[in-house]
Amino acid sequence: MKLLVFLEHHEGAVTKAALGVLAKARALGEAAGVVAGADVRGAAESVGGPVYLADDERLAAPLPGPRVDVLAKLVRDEGFDAVLFAQSVLAADVAAGLAARLGAGLNWDLADLVEQDGALVGKRPALADSVWVDAGWSSPVALALFRSGAFDPAAAEGGSEVREVAVELEPHSLLAELVEAASDEGEGGPSIEDADVIVAGGRGLGSPDNFALVEELASALGGAVAATRAVVDAGWYPYATQVGQTGKTVSPKLYVAVGISGAIQHKVGMQGSGLIVAINKDPHAPIFEYADLGVVGDLHEIVPRLTELVRSRQ
Amino acid sequence: MRPSDYPPPWRPEEAITTPSESEPVEVDVLVVGAGPAGLAAAIRLGQVAPELSVAVVEKGKRPGAHLLSGAVLRPGPLRELVGEDVPSYGEVPGEGVYFLTESRSLRIPTPPTMRNHGNVVVSLSELGRWLAEKAEAGGAMLLPETDAQRLLVEDGRVIGVRTGDKGRGRGGEELGRFEPGSELRARVTILCEGTGGHLTGAALAHFGLAGASPQVWALGVKEVWRVPRPLRRVIHTMGWPLRAGARYREFGGSFIYPMGDELVSIGLVVGLDYRDVDLSVHDLLQELKTHPLVLGLLEGGDRVAWGAKTIPEGGFVALPRAFHAPGLLLCGDGVGLVNVPALKGIHYAVESGRLAAEAAARGELDGYDSALRESFVWNDLRAVRNMRQGFAGGFWRGSISAGLATVTRGRVPSADRPTERDADQDLIRTGRASSYPPPDGRLTFDKLSSVYLSGNRTRDDQPNHIRVQTDVPRALAEMWARMCPAQVYEVEPVEPGEGGRSEGEGARRPEMDGEAVGAEGEPGWGTEGEPGGSDGERVKLVVTASNCVQCGAITAKGGRLTPPEGGSGPEYSLT
Repeated sequence: MKLLVFLEHHEGAVTKAALGVLAKARALGEAAGVVAGADVRGAAESVGGPVYLADDERLAAPLPGPRVDVLAKLVRDEGFDAVLFAQSVLAADVAAGLAARLGAGLNWDLADLVEQDGALVGKRPALADSVWVDAGWSSPVALALFRSGAFDPAAAEGGSEVREVAVELEPHSLLAELVEAASDEGEGGPSIEDADVIVAGGRGLGSPDNFALVEELASALGGAVAATRAVVDAGWYPYATQVGQTGKTVSPKLYVAVGISGAIQHKVGMQGSGLIVAINKDPHAPIFEYADLGVVGDLHEIVPRLTELVRSRQ
Repeated sequence: MRPSDYPPPWRPEEAITTPSESEPVEVDVLVVGAGPAGLAAAIRLGQVAPELSVAVVEKGKRPGAHLLSGAVLRPGPLRELVGEDVPSYGEVPGEGVYFLTESRSLRIPTPPTMRNHGNVVVSLSELGRWLAEKAEAGGAMLLPETDAQRLLVEDGRVIGVRTGDKGRGRGGEELGRFEPGSELRARVTILCEGTGGHLTGAALAHFGLAGASPQVWALGVKEVWRVPRPLRRVIHTMGWPLRAGARYREFGGSFIYPMGDELVSIGLVVGLDYRDVDLSVHDLLQELKTHPLVLGLLEGGDRVAWGAKTIPEGGFVALPRAFHAPGLLLCGDGVGLVNVPALKGIHYAVESGRLAAEAAARGELDGYDSALRESFVWNDLRAVRNMRQGFAGGFWRGSISAGLATVTRGRVPSADRPTERDADQDLIRTGRASSYPPPDGRLTFDKLSSVYLSGNRTRDDQPNHIRVQTDVPRALAEMWARMCPAQVYEVEPVEPGEGGRSEGEGARRPEMDGEAVGAEGEPGWGTEGEPGGSDGERVKLVVTASNCVQCGAITAKGGRLTPPEGGSGPEYSLT
């Protein structure tokens, strides 16, 4: 089985989610990654294993059209059985375009992929994550989009075997151009999707000023700050930091939930985290049903002391 | 204190506008709402006037996404329309009506109005998806994720609708993905918006069509369960957990229907003329499931769907004076074509949609009114016109007058009895919430996990679509917080509590601070069971609009629901 993984990159580094998908692909068969962009050799070299490199000025903007050309050519020339993507706005666009170009089936929102009797079968949670749906492909080439945080990235093993590919673009793929790039991410610190440690604050903080407690703990742990829908709704913290069903899905190694009750709308955005620590004064808060470590008590006392302890050990 | 003392910051005229676009989309007939009425209209137009272009706009993610009913359907009118059997879970195999007390159930004879022989059990959401395919096959163009935001009126004639913008931010600003709404113009616009219809209400006001008596509503909350043992009959219950006393005005009951061998639909419907601040239909449904009769049916099963919707209950006396205006026809639940004693309305929606389509095809809109008045719809509703109102006097008096009306086929009482607006009922407090069972995640559930199960994943950063006063007396704010099955409303905590467990926790009343009940001159504020010292205190209402499942209860009870961005709200599939 030959699998190709689309390696999305930001500021010279391949995203954690894409590396997770690559690790999954390696477990399933003969896997290679593809990095498409301008001046991205560094990103390709950092991955390890076989990586196709499409390095061209016309791939500088994060637009789907030219990337569909690169992937379609690779699939045709190299005979890949499947192309795998980690969910993102760009990846969804590229996957949809590639599906149309190749006449290939695309299954999305997958949380796992297995091989059964020589065929790939995608696993998709449905009905509020209460059942698993098996999704197969009837097309010769299988395209799959995975939920963010579905797999753990593997550490790079040795250097990459970089294979440069000639970039040949269709005229219609160059019709779209990037007019303006803007970012609404908060300043400083890792973005919550890439962070290994997240400290998240909820309505239990009591007031926006108390987010300082969360920020200090995050800073001590070298992590990012996230927020619940309720506090984002109340204007305490920016929307870009919202974790949950209608915000971002994250899977850090450590997730510290401060003053968060943990309704299912929040849970589905962070349940893939490695270790979940909850600090809440309400012992009946739903978050204690799925936290690995729960602390029942006043966050105003606990969090500053925790921050102090972490700092004193560094 | 009455909810209507705090009217919403909204006027019907806000939903009426004049055309402004130079290149609008034009069709012959525009249908608003892909429910049983709208889809029946579209299907009928394809049959009798295939040359006409027909568009159906639907605010839900797809047809059926906002459809919810019990539902036992009288299948005749729909079978006749589509010329084949309709997808269902089979004929009603048998039925039982029970009067419940807290721990017992007494089987009572089935009232004649509630007999269901020959009727079939359906999921209205599934039926809507099927009808949408029929309508498309017949040539109609379906436009899901499209909200009809304003009625286009020019020179006293309706010429279509303006659809809502998409991609606006919390404050109305244009986000990166902003898409302006567009004008859809048509020779005839058929409003089939369902309960509490946004444009229907505005049109009734604009054209002076409102009936003699105001519309009233009930709120129904239902769940679908996968059960280990099949249920072989449909069950209706009256009595507990509702209270019979006249001062409570708790009119309603439950339904429990088999959907094949594996699924059971269970719901509770309560009239929104209720008075108790603490009343929560969602929590009463959770309480109902703990009754031995119900527990025996569900034990060992899993909840697979949840949803909520209002039902127009005004009946005959609340119908509009006329069902058409220049360029406009009105159908279905939007104008209140519901038979409350029979618990039926889908087949009336279908029939009204069919008749509207025929009038639209002929180009004689006033013919729709006479056709509707000559149809079975009119006779049915006329015969039961006074039954619902009788229950304002409590369960027992209501039952007696309903019995009299039934045996005399509506001749007693002879005069029409008017309805009273739901929002005009004085509020009382009785400590009712203390008996609601805590959610255990197996049999009983909280509101937020229920909203999640409805498939609702509405974008949070869109403008608030709910018009309601947010600086109101505590009692009113708490009434809304309890009423809403989707936890849209919360009372801002005086001392912000930890953890944000607001339902039943954050909305706790502070200690009596000595402020008198009538401090603000609130008339008629009654208290029972609990000291009411702080009920008149002003509090801030927090509105989480993205939880909204668009049931419409707020419109009945002092606020106003308007359509959010198209594609928002629940994504029902089995309800």
